[in-house]
Amino acid sequence: MKRASLTLALALVAIGAGCSSLERSRSLANPSTPAKTLASQVCSNCHGLDGNSISPNFPKLAEQQQEYIVAQLNQFRNHRREDPPGFIYMWGISRSLTDDQIKGLAAYFAEQKSVSPGSGNPKLIEEGKQIFDSGLPAQNVPPCSTCHGDHGQGNGQFPRVANQHADYAVKQLTVFQQTEQRPDGVAMKVVTHSLSRQNMEAVAAYLQDIPPK
Amino acid sequence: MIGMDTRGLQEIRETPAPTSIAAAILAVRALRKKIARKLIAGTIAATVLVPLLLVLAPEEAQALPAFARQTGQNCVSCHAGGQFPELTPYGRMFKMTGYTIGERALPLSVMAVVSSSRVRDTTKSDNPPADFAKNRAVTFSSASLFIAGKVTENIGLFSQITYDNYAEQAVAPDGVGAGKFKGHTNADNIDLRYADRFIDSNRDLIFGVSANNNPSVSDPWNTAAAWMQYVPVPSPSSSQFVDGNAPYPGYGSGGNVAGLSAYAYLNKMLYAELGGYKTANRGLSIMSAGINNAGTTKLKGTNPYWRLALTHEWGPHNIMLGTSGMIADVYDNPEDTSDPTSTHRFNDKGLDAQYQYLLDPHTVTAQVAYMTSKHRYPDSVANQPVNFVDALGNPLANTNTSDTTNTLRAKLTYVYQAKYGGSLGYFNRTGNTNTLNQTSGFDPATGLITSDPTGSLGAAELSTRVGGNLSGNPATRGFTYEAFWTPMQYVRVGLQYTTYSKFNGASSNYDGLGRDAKDNNTLFFYVWGAY
Repeated sequence: MKRASLTLALALVAIGAGCSSLERSRSLANPSTPAKTLASQVCSNCHGLDGNSISPNFPKLAEQQQEYIVAQLNQFRNHRREDPPGFIYMWGISRSLTDDQIKGLAAYFAEQKSVSPGSGNPKLIEEGKQIFDSGLPAQNVPPCSTCHGDHGQGNGQFPRVANQHADYAVKQLTVFQQTEQRPDGVAMKVVTHSLSRQNMEAVAAYLQDIPPK
Repeated sequence: MIGMDTRGLQEIRETPAPTSIAAAILAVRALRKKIARKLIAGTIAATVLVPLLLVLAPEEAQALPAFARQTGQNCVSCHAGGQFPELTPYGRMFKMTGYTIGERALPLSVMAVVSSSRVRDTTKSDNPPADFAKNRAVTFSSASLFIAGKVTENIGLFSQITYDNYAEQAVAPDGVGAGKFKGHTNADNIDLRYADRFIDSNRDLIFGVSANNNPSVSDPWNTAAAWMQYVPVPSPSSSQFVDGNAPYPGYGSGGNVAGLSAYAYLNKMLYAELGGYKTANRGLSIMSAGINNAGTTKLKGTNPYWRLALTHEWGPHNIMLGTSGMIADVYDNPEDTSDPTSTHRFNDKGLDAQYQYLLDPHTVTAQVAYMTSKHRYPDSVANQPVNFVDALGNPLANTNTSDTTNTLRAKLTYVYQAKYGGSLGYFNRTGNTNTLNQTSGFDPATGLITSDPTGSLGAAELSTRVGGNLSGNPATRGFTYEAFWTPMQYVRVGLQYTTYSKFNGASSNYDGLGRDAKDNNTLFFYVWGAY
């Protein structure tokens, strides 16, 4: 009986090994796993196959700046980014990725088409547009568009913020403002210093459904 | 982080109806023994392990049970609000893709439970020292070893071996005192699966096969019979009225059977699973390892199980509407399967739904499961006279040829910051009356209420009063309230209170000997740890 169970188990393993395909692998520790495979088999579970995540717990990655994704994955991998979504989800996922896989993942998501997750409160959006375009001069808050682009499209190391989930954007602005969990985003600590919660929610509401270029 | 000890309790809930009144009484005792068996194993381990974990374990993502080591992620990635075994959408994908995301790691985890329970009334009993032997005591309830993780690119395993510190309660030497408990270890949940996923911009298809030992243990939603119960649950024999022993939807086959199911999940919208279950013997005996021949469910042939679910996700919300069912032919006597007509036929059909709102720091879950179970008895059990009489001394009706039982479970949970949580659960079992269910009644000789009309039982190690059923009706109804605290992701402390407004068909005097449903209200405190 035991022999039969063992045989069955070994047969299943053999079948499984034989049927394994690198093109559909979910292995995060195999340098040979193509980045596109990782994106579709693993990353898509939270970020969506096309980088347009459904849940605001997870940032949208579609059309994100390639350079920015590479930087973030490196920061997750070496634990320099310590905000909760970083260490809860991403430290583990990124721990064995190779530099090439990271570049491939960044290229994959940069190529996707970003879609707005939906619109919010018009009054809040208007207030957010004002901050995004013109800043809050009285509070020494510069316009967001200066670095992130007129339409929030980002530029190299400055991330795309257009169409980002408002809830995610507010949480990250709070991380920048109130913690040291993202040391590589120190510029944002200065920028967010004087923002109120209301300011953050307004900017985030505007970004979520910002008009395309 | 994984499921808890669900097999044993399900087995207990779904033990086939006994073949005679005497057998029924014996079955009740056997059931209690099973319950006891389940409860004993955990206390010592938890007493030692939990403080050790609290002091020694570093709070970072890698220092976690097997699956967390494999993905490197925190428990809340897969478990909604960190409350095992309930899964997040990502946790469900992890399971459906065969536990293969990540990298192979040490596939071992351990889990232990220390608990204490308190029943409202311990006086209305024929034998309080035996019935409530562990009432108010701090016990090491149970411990599990998990062997779980990625095996190949397409194969993964989740398996649980559970030691129950209170698996069995012996008869006291004087026949009336509290007998000693004895621990026992056996195979608990096992789910070995092969899965593949075909995903591109046109379609997303997950396909898999699961070899498992419990119908619905392969299911990714926590309204499935194998997963809905409150966990942890102490060994039933050390605490008879905690929520884990209250009614839950379940399949007639119970657990520790050998099954193979194939499933598919299309476009994150439609889930379908079809399986067949057989007796876990011969080459499949690993599915019931540790359980003796008399305790192993014997199924006739291959018994079908099916499951359909529709799912949708929007923003931080996700919902599932599902249905499932199983037809099982279970031999009346596990030790004698020579007569193919000596089987109980269970026809179970269920509806279930789950809603989750997951947006840090909030986790809200609403669950509802309803199952209707038709139970047809073999000729040796159906239409049989019973030994009790009615209050006037007239014979009672013969036993039914079949019964229908309906079980509803609903639960609402809220967790804040994956640390502080609370829930409200409701259970309601209804069903037709059957004299077969009567475990107490009027003695034809004396006209008095008794649980032993033939005098064949002798000294009872447990009284039949607390589990007695005078009405012959299975109706049991109540609420469970829970508050819990998760100071770190692999330690949970909880306080649970289960109230009964109906028990064994009546609100008051359900046993005919003066015990009321509310006398069974139980407070339960636990400390759970895993590593």
